[in-house]
Amino acid sequence: MDYWNPYLETLPRETYDEIELSYFRTMFSYAKVYSKLYQEKLKGIDHEDIRTLDDLKKIPLTEKEEMRKYQEIDPFPYGGLLASNIEQVTTFRQTSGTTGKPIYVPETYESWQWRIEAWCHILYMAGFRPHHRVFLPFGYNVYVAFWEAHFASEKLGCELVPGGALDTKGRIHKILEIRANGMMNTPTYGLHIAEEAKAMGIDPASLGIERMLCAGEPMPQATRSRLEEAFNCHVFDHIGGTEPCAWAGMCEAKDGLHIIEPFFLVEILDRETLQKEVEEGEIGVAVVTPLGRRSFPLIRFNTKDLVVKGKHSCSCGRTSKKIKEVVGRIDDLRKVRGVLFSPKTVEEVIRKDFHEIEEFEMIVERRGLMDVITLRAEPNPVLTISSIEQTKARLHESLKIATNLTFNVIMETPGSLPRYTLKAKRFKDLREGGKNE
Amino acid sequence: MNDQIRNEIERIEESAKRLQTLAPDNPAILRNADILLTFVYILKFITPQLPAR
Repeated sequence: MDYWNPYLETLPRETYDEIELSYFRTMFSYAKVYSKLYQEKLKGIDHEDIRTLDDLKKIPLTEKEEMRKYQEIDPFPYGGLLASNIEQVTTFRQTSGTTGKPIYVPETYESWQWRIEAWCHILYMAGFRPHHRVFLPFGYNVYVAFWEAHFASEKLGCELVPGGALDTKGRIHKILEIRANGMMNTPTYGLHIAEEAKAMGIDPASLGIERMLCAGEPMPQATRSRLEEAFNCHVFDHIGGTEPCAWAGMCEAKDGLHIIEPFFLVEILDRETLQKEVEEGEIGVAVVTPLGRRSFPLIRFNTKDLVVKGKHSCSCGRTSKKIKEVVGRIDDLRKVRGVLFSPKTVEEVIRKDFHEIEEFEMIVERRGLMDVITLRAEPNPVLTISSIEQTKARLHESLKIATNLTFNVIMETPGSLPRYTLKAKRFKDLREGGKNE
Repeated sequence: MNDQIRNEIERIEESAKRLQTLAPDNPAILRNADILLTFVYILKFITPQLPAR
């Protein structure tokens, strides 16, 4: 087993803690001086008050809403979130804006390179090496994930092939033409490439992809297995965001995600109180502090990502903290007929046990006083009418067991549901005040 | 070993800063030296000075 940075990746736990505390204090002091957001927010707290990691609780979490407010002041467009001279900013990125006005993220050359260094850990852990010719089947636009993937691949020594401005068929031809053996994509788009390749008479396993790194959406184990099976390759996951950077990745053991320490100080807090750290195996909200990115400091950023806390050891020998699983976004959790429901559960059921379902979406609406939840499922075109009816009945039963909700299952015509290249929007909450994901 | 690495990083830092003072009117040398300093920052970050025991 080898590591991108053998020195940093096998430190004793207490050494990580000491380094991260020291880096945290430095970033705290920096943010207090250079970021208008933190000049206000951290008034009355001194870095001398932060003596142990337990003392972090004295510092309020940073929420996206307050970041939007501080973004409105000068200098345009970053406002009080910028913590360096605006002339030093070399890269503009922004969030997708699915939950409100986008956050504009300034990166100086230094901050961008710091992000890329952290990303190299993710790629290296996933087995990417200089012999990989990596295909990125996207136009990257202003969104950060695939730009990071691009520059980190380059830094690691891979040969990078940008695949924007092509349709899916064109991308499949390009993969074959240049013999790409690595790929990075959303899980949804990976499945779509597999489906499209089959429609073209090409077995996706024959494309030659050896390693795939997924981003952009929570990936249930069943979806990862389905991708591995379709492409006959190793598929890895990671987690991150535009604001906090990519902060955890999967190693060859494929047993949870390693937090990239000491780049990030990650707390996994009880989702009700956002106060106390959860125990191993419990679900909590990830609160992330990037410890060396100075253009856009974030102190205890509430990612709203729900994760299961993992153990500290791994067969790969890395000693960093782990998360066992990414559950989804806290915003994705909905009460339907009084039952707490996560759309990821439905994806897990379908990807695991219903290989005949090509695409699906969920809709919740209010009819009278009642919530009605519908699954629109698109079967494989080769299915007969009787097997479609059997699948429908099995779906109804399996979803009831997995979610405790009775679904209205509708089997749609093949090819009728939308396909996604970036983040899939398979869940629509049409109730008053509901949000679509 | 970490001390040796840190010493070498500091030498690069001094050298980059010297380059900047030697060519104050040359944007290409100034910027390339500045980029060296960016990587000095990252090299220092990934070789933290461990707390004394």
